[in-house]
Order: sequence, then structure tokens, then C-alpha cells
Amino acid sequence: MAGWKQLAKADLPAFLAELAGQAELVVPQEKDGKVRFGPFDRSKPVSFPSSLVDVSLKAVFFPKRRPIARFDSADKAKLEPVAPETGPRIAMGAHPCDVAAVNYVDRVFIHSAFKDPLYEAERNRTTIIGMFCSEMKPECHCTDRELSPDDERGMDAVFADTKDGYLFRAVTDKGTAVLNSALLKDTTEAPEKKDWPKGKYPVSPECVVHSPSSLDSDPFWQDVSDLCLTCGACTFACPTCTCFLVSDEQHDGKGERVIAWDSCQFTGYSRMTGGHNPRKSAAARVRNRMLDKFVFTVEKYGATSCVGCGRCAIICPVGRHFPKEISALSAKAKVR
Amino acid sequence: MAVELVPRAAVIKQVVDESLDVKSLVFEFADGSELSSLPGQFIEVSIPGVGESTFAVSRLEPGARRFHVSVKRMGHVTKALHRSAAGETAFVRGPYGKPFPVGEWKVKDILIVGGGIGLAPLRPVVDHILANRADYGKLDIVFGARTPGDMIFREDLAAWGNDAGIKLVKTIDVECVDWDGCVGLLPNVVKQQGYRSDGSIAVVCGPPIMIRFTMAALKELGWPDAQVYTTLEMKMQCGIGQCGRCNIGGKYVCKDGPVFRLDQIPASAM
Repeated sequence: MAGWKQLAKADLPAFLAELAGQAELVVPQEKDGKVRFGPFDRSKPVSFPSSLVDVSLKAVFFPKRRPIARFDSADKAKLEPVAPETGPRIAMGAHPCDVAAVNYVDRVFIHSAFKDPLYEAERNRTTIIGMFCSEMKPECHCTDRELSPDDERGMDAVFADTKDGYLFRAVTDKGTAVLNSALLKDTTEAPEKKDWPKGKYPVSPECVVHSPSSLDSDPFWQDVSDLCLTCGACTFACPTCTCFLVSDEQHDGKGERVIAWDSCQFTGYSRMTGGHNPRKSAAARVRNRMLDKFVFTVEKYGATSCVGCGRCAIICPVGRHFPKEISALSAKAKVR
Repeated sequence: MAVELVPRAAVIKQVVDESLDVKSLVFEFADGSELSSLPGQFIEVSIPGVGESTFAVSRLEPGARRFHVSVKRMGHVTKALHRSAAGETAFVRGPYGKPFPVGEWKVKDILIVGGGIGLAPLRPVVDHILANRADYGKLDIVFGARTPGDMIFREDLAAWGNDAGIKLVKTIDVECVDWDGCVGLLPNVVKQQGYRSDGSIAVVCGPPIMIRFTMAALKELGWPDAQVYTTLEMKMQCGIGQCGRCNIGGKYVCKDGPVFRLDQIPASAM
């Protein structure tokens, strides 16, 4: 494992400019009070949030709308596949939960019987310089999801914001390749190890094993879904939700076949042409999503798919609190 | 590597009027390649600008170049396919999903129960048995449609009816003049006919409610779940286990199905 290197705070703009010189650089950016990942702009100062970027890293690899083929509305006998992007890219400043989430999304689009070459190309061309969190925000509960604010798994390189500057370390060869700047100085210093709190919204393994059938008819599902608008905001904010819709869009004589984010919370999501809808009620859809995160994805991919970022609770317009709900469900399952 | 979700051009070679609202489209890939589909598998058919839908392959002709889909007019895509004519191009990807394990059924008697358009995914099973007649035992086919006008695959029904090796029972929902078959809902007809399990295989497909009650009828007749197969209908879109909508618990109908043996169906599906 490579040692730590120090970057003086004053050298950050120069370092970012160097990175932007060797690859397309993606960093957190603030707009109207919300921080999301976007292309680096020399004219704007970059500030790295101490934890949780408002909009997850997911969209950098799996954008909410992605064309896969193009056609001419006048000649629909041809469908031209969209070529994958290949230029190098660096995504900098994603926290451990977001990086863990992207590694989960890999299971769906790369470690699958049908690999998605467009997604894989986005992953391959991108070097992730992740970032340790220096605090846990009120809804953060990664420590209850087998992660921690200083977990570097899945990153190519990592950095930490310290009092005196930034400390960088390469985790993979790809990471080593982007940390060759003369602005980075060898140091014996290392980020301070903290004892992060746990137990905010715990989920027991018993929940994962027992909850599906034994709790099917539980009034719990009605209780948690009573207020739900099934607006899908939680699914769009979730860094591991990957459901999508394939549709054709046409403008000005040009057409595109597009993959766009969809949500299992929508009424029509599973409705069939004949009208039959296996998940007609909000309760059935809420149940499907909650169990998907902790039970179904274990069956499908051998892993739970909640990273404890808390965005679902933050974004919910009616104050539903998924982490508290799943924790309560888990406690119920444990009692039985 | 090609993007799986981007389909290949396929030329419509023939359009067959099957019933009042069902047409079969006979395709060949524009590049002359084969469709390596097995009975029970499905494909995604699309028209640029309209959309893409899931269809069972309802016949793969010898040589594997010509394949049929049987389309009931329901929504945007099916309406557009109904307006298509021979010579036009559509787009196809697949085949996807787990097929019927016809290889495991050798020597056994087979009972096919199809309701309405649900006969479409079952026709390749019948085709397979007829092409390998010596490998299988008795063949019973029960087909139900709402009215005589809703009967699909009329030529096949006529041929099956004339085949000494097949016992065909046709039924419609309510009585009708000039009808020589049975009258009654499929589950009741199955019960009346008293089909015996005796190590045979039953294959059932139709609307969800018909599947549920036919399963109950077979159970009443003593059929063990391990001898009963169905192909489930769920909203499928990507066909490759990624878009998410066809899950039943931790299983995807498109990837882990659509063919399921009754004892292997996730409990919440029925």
C-alpha cells in the first residue's frame, strides 16, 4: 500500500488544474444550495463536502437518461448503436457510501449474464479519487451497513481533509497513475483514526433471513405506506437503485432509444398491458423496495444494497424514514 | 462488445390473421442469421419511435431462420405491429429466458393447456413434440378462447384435430351457434376431462386468473406440483434481468423464468 502524500490547501486549485489537464475531471459542485457531481470548471472554486454530497455519484456512471441507439424518424429501418465513451476521466470527492454503491451497481451491469458495455466503459475510463468523511451527518448510518466514513474499498485513490492540508493515498494502480503531481509531498502524517458511532438504524441479519414470508401479512406495510406518495424520490436519490425504462424519444426528425431511470414505486411500473398489476397497492410497492434492499438483492447478487447514506429519508416529501422503518422491521423479525 | 439492449433489424416476411385481434408476424433477421430459440423463450420486438414489447416466440420454423410472434392488439407497440405489412422492418433482440425442459420430458405423456393468446408460447412445445414424436408419449391439448372468433392458430388446430396421435379439446366461454367443441371455462373443462397425472407433464399458459384456477383444478385431480409447468406473465422490458420490473421476490421472470415448474414458483406469484 502506498504511503500518504500531502497537498497544501493553497495548492488545491493548481492540483485540480493538473488533473483536469490529463483527464475529464468530475467534482462536487454547488448550485442553489445543493451539491452534485459535475464537470470541473476552472472559473469556480471547488469545495469538498465533509460528508455526503447531496446527489449521489451514481449518475456519473448511470445517468438518469442515456441514449443507446439513434434513428432517423424518416427511415426507421436503421438503428445505429451509440459508441461508448473512451476518454480518461477522474471522479473526485465521492465518499465511501457512494463508492460502495457504485461497486454494488457493478453487480447489476458488469457482473451479470448480459454485461452493459456502455456502463462498463464509463467505469473503466474513470479513476475514482474518493474522500474520507470528516463527520457523520444526522441521517448518515453507513456504520450500520458494514461501511465506515474512512472506508477506502472500491476507490482507486483516497484523500482526507485535515487541518493543515489534504492527505492523498493511492489504493490501486489506476490511482497511483493520477497521484504523480509534484505538488504532492511525501509525509509521515496519516489521517486521524476515529471511533465512529454505530447503532442509529441497525438491521439484524435475522431480518435478512426471515422477514419476507413471515411478515407478509403484517400491518407494518400498511402503516409505513399510508403516507407514501409513491413519487419515487427515494429511488432516484438512492445510490444503488438501478431500475430503468427503455423508451424511444423523437425530436426534429431525429430519434433516440433511451435508457432512463424508472421507479418501482410508480403505479404503472409493473402493470401489464392487459391491466393486471401484481403490485397495485402502495403497500405492495413499498414492501417490494424495502425487501429488495435487504433480502432480494442478497438472493440476486449475494449482497444487501443499502449503504446507509440516508438520502431516502432526507428527500422524502412526507417524512417517511426508510432507515428507521427497516430498522423497526428488523427488530420485529428478530422478536419472532 | 454489442450493447444487448440494441436490437437487430428483422424483416417481416408474412402477416397471418389469426383471430379478430391477433396477428402472427413471421420474421427473418435482415443479416440472415438464425434465432436460436428454444420452446418457451421470448424475444423483444420494437419499432423505432413506437417502443419495444415482449413476445413469446410462437414458432421457429425448421432451419431456425424464420420465427413467428403472435400479437394480440392491446397497446401502442402491438397496434403498430398490427399495422405492419410484409416487407417492412422491425427490430428484434433475444432469445431470452429459461425454456421448457422438453429434453427432460422424453417418454412421458404431455398435457398442454392454453388459454387465449397463452397458446402462443406453448405452440413451440407442440411443434417440438410433433417433430420428435417417437420420443414422447400421448399428447393432449386443451385450448380455450372466449368465443369461436377468438380461436387462434386455426390451421394448427385443424391439423392437431386430424392427428391420430393428439387428443384435442377446444372450449369457448359461453354457448354459441355452430360450435362443435366444449363450452366452459378451462379449469372446469380440465376437471371434466379428468386428466390423470400418472407421471405425465402438464404445461399451462394463459391469463393470470386462468393459470391460477387451472393449477387448482390440476391439484384437485391429484397432479403433483413437480409435474406442472407454466410460463409466467409479468411486465418485462429489458429481458436480461436489469431493468427491475418483473421481479417476484429475489427472482426475475425474464431471467429465472418465464418458465417455472409449479413447485419452484416463488410463493407470492400465485
